[in-house]
Amino acid sequence: MDILIKLEEGFEQFLRFTSFANFQWEHGAMICVGLFFLYLAIKKDYEPLLLVPIGFGILVGNIPFFEAAGLQIGIYEEGSVLNYLYFGVLKGIYPPLIFLGIGAMTDFSALLSNPKLMILGAAAQIGIFVTFIVALALGFDINQAAAIGIIGGADGPTAIFLSSKLAPELIGAIAIAAYSYMALVPVIQPPIIKLLTTKQERLIKMKPPRAVSKVEKMIFPIVGLLLTTFISPGGLPLLGMLFFGNLLKESGVTKRLADTASKPLIDIVTILLGLTVGASTQATTFLTPQSIMIFVLGAISFMIATAGGVLFAKVMNLFLKGDNKINPMIGAAGVSAVPDSARVVQQLGIKEDPTNYLLMHSMAPNVSGVIGSAVAAGIMLSLLSGIL
Amino acid sequence: MNNEILNSDTLKAVQDTVSAAKEEIHTLNNLTFDISKIGSDGIIITILGYVVVFVALVILFLIVNNIKNILNFNIKSKLKREGKITEGTETKPEEVMTGEVNAAIATALYLFFEEAHDMENTVLTIKKVQRPYSPWSSKIYGLRQFPKR
Repeated sequence: MDILIKLEEGFEQFLRFTSFANFQWEHGAMICVGLFFLYLAIKKDYEPLLLVPIGFGILVGNIPFFEAAGLQIGIYEEGSVLNYLYFGVLKGIYPPLIFLGIGAMTDFSALLSNPKLMILGAAAQIGIFVTFIVALALGFDINQAAAIGIIGGADGPTAIFLSSKLAPELIGAIAIAAYSYMALVPVIQPPIIKLLTTKQERLIKMKPPRAVSKVEKMIFPIVGLLLTTFISPGGLPLLGMLFFGNLLKESGVTKRLADTASKPLIDIVTILLGLTVGASTQATTFLTPQSIMIFVLGAISFMIATAGGVLFAKVMNLFLKGDNKINPMIGAAGVSAVPDSARVVQQLGIKEDPTNYLLMHSMAPNVSGVIGSAVAAGIMLSLLSGIL
Repeated sequence: MNNEILNSDTLKAVQDTVSAAKEEIHTLNNLTFDISKIGSDGIIITILGYVVVFVALVILFLIVNNIKNILNFNIKSKLKREGKITEGTETKPEEVMTGEVNAAIATALYLFFEEAHDMENTVLTIKKVQRPYSPWSSKIYGLRQFPKR
């Protein structure tokens, strides 16, 4: 008889520990979001390298469990494996490593051959600052507003880096918003580009970029580092790693290191970052009105950044003559979603005129946007550290 | 007794839910758009931040724009000294160094050096290759010797 009672108690305890017993509707909602991300990545091929780890991470983070038991399995429970991996996000370790890989993969030739396109990368950063103001007006505190604003840079690692420093409590929502909108570049940008440009402007053919010498390519990361970090030392972890990675690639004598940074290292960090950012959306801590508002602000930010780039390209065209004119669509690539927004511009260009290849031209503002958003993050960090 | 416990538990759960809902409503109310919340710090950061991003990239543009001139300065002055170029005959590097031109030159050189040609030589000859004897390449040692019966 005792055995039966104990068996019943054991069974009850087992039931209490199952996810069914701990399930809340919020878990269900987040699992649906995770499945939607996986669908977008696998079926629609929207940024699968990011959305598969994030989408699966959302599933991992939203398996309900008996939190009071202290099993050390949740991402927010100290001592759990996921918590250790999440440390890299919380302390801003992963973003600079990602930047190292990006630097080792990036060819700045397009930028060096037509440096004026660099300014488009600065123009598109308007999204960051407008969203910052809007977030402040909505009642977010100044640190949170800065972290939310950086979503407009369309740069996941930068957004994570800044929010880990200024608003760690919002890091999950900000990271998810930033990466989601990066993946949704092919959906968000084309209507804005079309709205702000005429058919004639979209048909502008730009003159082919000149060949860039090896010495120029080697000098650029050194000059870039010294200049940008002297102006904005707050962005040193990101800019330092970006330019270091690029020098590894361009120096030609560190091929092995460049290969490691651009392939295995960035892959490992992307897996860890994507999975833990996804898992950080644990429904019990993630689903708040603030998170939803961050999503809305992120979308606004991204749209403003795209519009800012396109409009500034049109303004530049007022001062440029003949074959120096630029196709204003490439201004949209000033947001630093590399290389997605450049690819979107290329596809739009091809659609208008099958002989108009804009990929190399749009890569210039695209990589300049990476530098611009890292500089902006550094400035935010410096200014806010001074004020508070 | 059980009912009392149940009731107190249910009451507590309801109270928790209500307080959570109140907190959410409070947060939502706080998230209303009000320009007066921006403050002077926000405006300063916005203006200063955007201007600094612009200035940083404009300076970088100016430097990058002149890198090639600085690098070409020595070559140009050397060529001028040797009389190979004069003021009037200088060509802009952009005019001759486009990617397409480079690709065409590289392809031509590749085809030339790899001896790829349109007309295939139809006369094929067999070259006799002499290999001096060495035990390392000896057929006797290289092939398996089956025992003779």
